[in-house]
Amino acid sequence: MRLDPAIRDQVLATVPSLRAFAISLCGNIDRADDLVQETLLRALAHIDSFRPGTNMPAWLFTILRNLFRSEYRKRRREVEDTDGRYAETLKSQPEQTGRVEFNEFRAALGKLPSDQREALILVGASGFSYEDTATICGCAVGTIKSRVNRARTRLADLLAIDSVDDFGPDRATRAVLAGGGRS
Amino acid sequence: MKSGKTVNIETPAPNENKPEARDAMGRPVTQRKSEVRLGREVQARIGQQLRALYDDVVSEGVPQHIADLVRRLSEQDDGAA
Repeated sequence: MRLDPAIRDQVLATVPSLRAFAISLCGNIDRADDLVQETLLRALAHIDSFRPGTNMPAWLFTILRNLFRSEYRKRRREVEDTDGRYAETLKSQPEQTGRVEFNEFRAALGKLPSDQREALILVGASGFSYEDTATICGCAVGTIKSRVNRARTRLADLLAIDSVDDFGPDRATRAVLAGGGRS
Repeated sequence: MKSGKTVNIETPAPNENKPEARDAMGRPVTQRKSEVRLGREVQARIGQQLRALYDDVVSEGVPQHIADLVRRLSEQDDGAA
């Protein structure tokens, strides 16, 4: 069976966002790309279980997260804790916005508990609904809402933002525009 | 410590008989509205930073080796893997 080109294109269109999520989980770009590859192998081998017309990104993210979780459990001893390394890894990204505030933000994000960071990224960056995020993470919608709220509160505390000026709004806006490519 | 005026405890100013109108720090509660607004602005900034971070990766698009993999897998017949 050859894959329907429309389905293939949906898969390809999801890859950039899938990679960004994988990097946030793995804390390591090479491992993230391996995880994305594994996910695509798994997904295309079981493409019959995807119902056309349903949410392709949510389906792929669910597979990727499950693979990461099962692999993470196996490797827990050697991987110990990715939380603290997330900020470091992201510094190896091209610094389109190389600014103090941005690095502070990365560091603060890296300090969040992994379940909170994951929920915040899926809702706040990947753009999933609370419902889709709950499906991806295999938990209740209320749990996701609670994790996202705690993540936001904790980030604000970590960044100790008490003035809008601290955050350089124009810069952040430019950074968003520079990122581009999201649909 | 010097205070501007002596407060007679037995005859408080009439307006201070409304404890619900002031918060624990003695500020009028109307100030809280601006605090709530600031909270929203902070959350908006956090959202912007988060998306900018994510989009740094998204903007890299599909790496060539992954594009090749998907095309190869999508063109092979069943059982070829």
